[in-house]
Amino acid sequence: MPLTGTLDLSPYAGEAPLVEDLGTAQWELKEASILQILYEIDEVGLTSLLPPALHPTIPPTLLVNATKVPDSSVGPFTLAEVRIGCRAATRPRGYLARAICNSEDAASELRKRWGYPVDVAEVDLVKTHYSVELSVIEDDELILEAALIDPEPISGNDIQYLANLNLARVNRDGKPVTRLIQVDPEYTFHAADRGQAQITDIDPGAWRLEEALPVYPVSASYARADITMPAIRFLIDPEQPPLKSVERVDK
Amino acid sequence: MKFGLFYEISVPRPWGPDTEHKVYHNALEQVRLADELGFDQVWAVEHHFLEEYSHCSAPEIFLTACAMQTKNIRIGHGIVVCVPEFNNPIKIAERTATMDIMSNGRLEVGTGRSATWTELGGFEANPDETKKTWDEYVRILPQMWTQERFGYQGRAFSMPTRTILPKPYQKPHPPMWVAVTSPGTELDAADRGLGSLGLTFGGFAEQEEKIAEYRRRIQYCDPVAEFVNEQVNTTNFLFCHEDRDTGIETGKRLSGTFNYLAEQLLAARQAYPSRSYPNLGLLPALRRESTAPTEGNVPEGLAIGDPDRVIEVIKKWEAVGVDRINFLLNANETVPQEQVLESLRLFGKEVMPKFANKAEEKEAVSVGGGE
Repeated sequence: MPLTGTLDLSPYAGEAPLVEDLGTAQWELKEASILQILYEIDEVGLTSLLPPALHPTIPPTLLVNATKVPDSSVGPFTLAEVRIGCRAATRPRGYLARAICNSEDAASELRKRWGYPVDVAEVDLVKTHYSVELSVIEDDELILEAALIDPEPISGNDIQYLANLNLARVNRDGKPVTRLIQVDPEYTFHAADRGQAQITDIDPGAWRLEEALPVYPVSASYARADITMPAIRFLIDPEQPPLKSVERVDK
Repeated sequence: MKFGLFYEISVPRPWGPDTEHKVYHNALEQVRLADELGFDQVWAVEHHFLEEYSHCSAPEIFLTACAMQTKNIRIGHGIVVCVPEFNNPIKIAERTATMDIMSNGRLEVGTGRSATWTELGGFEANPDETKKTWDEYVRILPQMWTQERFGYQGRAFSMPTRTILPKPYQKPHPPMWVAVTSPGTELDAADRGLGSLGLTFGGFAEQEEKIAEYRRRIQYCDPVAEFVNEQVNTTNFLFCHEDRDTGIETGKRLSGTFNYLAEQLLAARQAYPSRSYPNLGLLPALRRESTAPTEGNVPEGLAIGDPDRVIEVIKKWEAVGVDRINFLLNANETVPQEQVLESLRLFGKEVMPKFANKAEEKEAVSVGGGE
């Protein structure tokens, strides 16, 4: 059967966000700008970046996503995510290695409602007619610089966004346990582009990628869309085998 | 109705020094038995880099071995990936002609374009281009086979005039097919007068609609080959056992394993936004199959169970217009080889005779099938 992840979660489990209420409501994010960059990563990351409940993609893939929200119930924010492409049993998913947000209020919402492992730092997403550029600076260090080069229009329906799997803690019988929270937003597209993918700078340590550097650009897309952050429907026990790990969240 | 075998050559981990050898030789043994039992065809795919799912990267070699060890079964080379980074069309014309000679005129040629980023990226092929290069290939291959001397100035491929040798044993050339995975590709097949080589397992109603449209459209085709190949070939799983429950349970294990492996593939559309891949190709169809309408607790249309059930299922496929069914016999060796062979023998003894009198399948009609 397919390979499964070998990531030791113990260094991350204790600091994973605690989601006390799994019955979170939807969250409407209007007119968001979304950059997605897909790279193949070094084979050293084939299984080492994923928990045992997940299968790696072959080849192993890394997704950089940036979402710029001009306004929301907590004000404007920009979120940068680095995810590892994977399968939860048969379902395509992105395991969120780490996220950075430029708004403490938005980070707090994402952390406590959907379990995002998100910290606050500087995130910039700038679109021009020749590129869409993302930079993330933490503690005065550039930890990510990526871009879509030479955008050309496409249909939003041509873009595939993978649902997130966020490592978080939830309460079970009064005790916190680690679970992957599936976050599968809905998108209503207004415009979309694609272009060449480019990652010019990445600090693998800052994004929990160990030695697994991005090595081969695959694709880049940019979209303007309304996003509906979802109610939580599924959890995954990260330590269980793929076919035994999924839990449906009771309404 | 004609019956065939279909091979992906899936190889389970852990990969020991003999694992691939065993899987290949199990397949060869199955093909020899199928030939003895009167199966009509054996197909093998071309896939690259698809760990466990398919280790069939040189199907022409496997199929030549099949041809050398059998007498009657036809040899389905398909699909051949019609993308320059994978295959130069001259080489396709040469090797298929050679296979046709070596098999005494038993070759069938399936064409397609690959649907995974794993493969397209591995060859550094541009996903935007694959549909276009496929369309160019299917138009020049028949000319390469039939013209004494051939030269061409095209979009994805050009060559000065040369004599492409050898020529196929079948005249004017082997039947040509198109792999149909994405919705709408059956119409590409019809419009070009090519056979529809279905690689999905959708339910009866969906297939009936597609086949009806294929039959309607092919009447008005502009043939790319020397003759119209109006035939619908589909794919299914086969496990036949005297005990219905055993047959169903084993068959479900086989189909479930195959589908699980298929879902691991990194589809082109998942990695690369492109109009060229408006859907996921094989993958969504497989997923649909597992959630398709069911008969009892079995997904609709699967040829698994006891002979009576398998006959019933095949009659339904026949009724919706399918001409041929190719069977996947195993996936990741989840079914022991002896059980696979027993299933084949039982199918040959109990099921095939029920369809023997209907074997006057529509042969390829002569060129000019359009009005």
